[in-house]
Amino acid sequence: MTEPLLDVRDLSVDYLTEAGDVHVLSGVSFAVAEREFVGIVGESGCGKSTLLFAVAQLLSPPGEIVSGEVVFRGGDMVGLRGGELRHMRWRDYSMVMQSAMNALNPMNSIGAQFADAMEAHGERSRERIRARSREVLELVGIDAVHLGSYPHQLSGGMRQRAMIAMALLFTPQLVIMDEPTSALDVVAQQSLMTKIRELQRRLGFAVLFVTHDMSVVSRYSDRVIVMYAGQIAEAAATETIFERPLHPYTRGLMNAFPSVRGPRREMAGIPGAPPDLAHPPGGCRFHPRCPEVMDICPTREPALYERDGARVRCLLYEERAAVGARAEAPRSGAAQADAAQADAAQADVTVDAAVDAAQADAAQEARP
Amino acid sequence: MSPPGDARAPSPQEPLLRTEGLTRHFALGGLFSRKVLHAVDDLDLTIGEREIVALVGESGSGKSTVARLLARLYKPTRGEIYYRGRSVAGLRSRKDLLWYRGEVPIVLQDPFSAFHPVFRISHGIMRNLALHRPELDREARRREAERVCEAVGLSPRMLTRFSYEMSGGERQRIGFAQALAVRPKLILADEPVSMLDVSIRAGVLNMMASLRDREGVSLLYITHDLASARYVADRIVVMYAGHEVESGPTETVLSEPKHPYTQLLLSAVADPREKDAELSADTGEPPRVVNPSEGCRFRARCPLAIETCARVTPRPEPIGASRVACHVALARARGEEGLPSEAPGASASRGTGSSPTPDTATVTE
Repeated sequence: MTEPLLDVRDLSVDYLTEAGDVHVLSGVSFAVAEREFVGIVGESGCGKSTLLFAVAQLLSPPGEIVSGEVVFRGGDMVGLRGGELRHMRWRDYSMVMQSAMNALNPMNSIGAQFADAMEAHGERSRERIRARSREVLELVGIDAVHLGSYPHQLSGGMRQRAMIAMALLFTPQLVIMDEPTSALDVVAQQSLMTKIRELQRRLGFAVLFVTHDMSVVSRYSDRVIVMYAGQIAEAAATETIFERPLHPYTRGLMNAFPSVRGPRREMAGIPGAPPDLAHPPGGCRFHPRCPEVMDICPTREPALYERDGARVRCLLYEERAAVGARAEAPRSGAAQADAAQADAAQADVTVDAAVDAAQADAAQEARP
Repeated sequence: MSPPGDARAPSPQEPLLRTEGLTRHFALGGLFSRKVLHAVDDLDLTIGEREIVALVGESGSGKSTVARLLARLYKPTRGEIYYRGRSVAGLRSRKDLLWYRGEVPIVLQDPFSAFHPVFRISHGIMRNLALHRPELDREARRREAERVCEAVGLSPRMLTRFSYEMSGGERQRIGFAQALAVRPKLILADEPVSMLDVSIRAGVLNMMASLRDREGVSLLYITHDLASARYVADRIVVMYAGHEVESGPTETVLSEPKHPYTQLLLSAVADPREKDAELSADTGEPPRVVNPSEGCRFRARCPLAIETCARVTPRPEPIGASRVACHVALARARGEEGLPSEAPGASASRGTGSSPTPDTATVTE
């Protein structure tokens, strides 16, 4: 793989309010490769939707990109003018909004709205517009007769599909989706996500997709980015993150939703509430809620550390912090892993093996 | 408030709450319109003492209408609700109504719009106490408010806060504290966690279970989320298009679902911890319940549909520990042979792939 399709570098977004600037995103970096399906998960207020808007260059005041780059196909999009962006939107990348089913114009038929988008990009031939509209609608599994239908005549799931069809009119390379299925029932949600996944593989576009639903991410995305309080907490391949979550927040999330199959387990949830981003806690932003908090967490801000193919923002994975953690009684799996890591630190080579072993143990414990 | 009169003493076999043929229709359109939406049809629901019953269904299944019927926010079109053996429709006097509302309070879905922003959080709890438990003096009311606050896992200091100073999870707990203040026997909880973040949900669900275990209340937990229903509920009732399709003990229903709709719902739930069930091709089109014809309402989506399904509305019948409303499942359970597992008609309609079924393709007339 050469250059990624989308490369977000150190992106920071502030909301400029009278009460002071709120740092909604702080130094977010990630890349999306061609044909990749990347899921971003997080709770409300963690900045995940803002991130999508910033990537799509759709932020409006009081939101503002204060630093960073959004490099799409080799060019930085930050600072591009309206005219230049208008040319790229729909054609090169498109966006499906949250509750997109309410984003259709109720006064126009589906076909008219599709035609609008195509005409805006210079397509004049009624023939071709009609043919392409039929094509994309059938792609998402809606009968083409519905081009003449108005939004109120379609069910929520069908409207959502129509929005996705619209996003595919020009076969863009990147489709950005903000909670595309959160307003739908489980069956419709599963059916729509399966459809998106199938189209993504067939047509070869990349998907950047935001949700609060861990189970949806687990089933459909190649890679997962977990956000907390405007920062990336952990990012890794889907199997890696679900088999071996590293960040205490990710682990908390894994233990916060019940299973419908398999053994019945006690859930703990995560005590407390996400921080106010106008006054984020010092040091690690998760430390007030963290079950594995150490002495240095309130004062020292963690970076994103590379570990076993994952990136994780937690001082447990910083070498120096790990030595400190050994002093504490290792209660949890993570602390054990750390102790193991600290022990192995002298014999550099075996670090990863030891951590692996300890974490495998921890994983076993977690699954009764 | 204790139930006055001997008529309210429950007979030994009488469950806490029982409905008989509970039905609610809504007239749609103008004065001369004949469109009638069947939100709930012929529902027989029972809730026992110290029991959490989950009412599960997708949007449009009628589950919230059931909560509103039980809370007397709607009047039933037909059918009866018996609370401790006494007809709820027959409650007329202010005293009786106050008694019923105190015994069976409702907690609503959206904790962000359920509280008055001008009053402190204690306001709702204190008002409930003053109204439903007039025997308490001011000091006793304050103590009781603190007790219910602790029962839902909040610090009594929270009572002096305003709703906008609290997180969603805290507000939802206050919703339960308000309900708890009237010493209820049954709390109707309409999607109490659907608006909350994942990390907060677990806490509220655990709190609901502890209300049953410690305070001895029953709960009707209305949800679209099978996994959370499994987590807290003793019994599950699955609704589809206003009908009960399957009910029974939680683990029985979820480990051996007998109704094709329950099976479909289960297969649609992704679970990162377990291998996924086989995905179905169903696109999740919602049911149409405006002037429905006789027959099973799931038949257009059903892989098992047989000719009988279009003629006869299936009624819930016992199969093992569950109750299932499905002709095919019932026939199978009774060991009848010679029934096709898939009728020709059904497979033909599935052959069209993902295009909408005839029933759903007809846009709203």
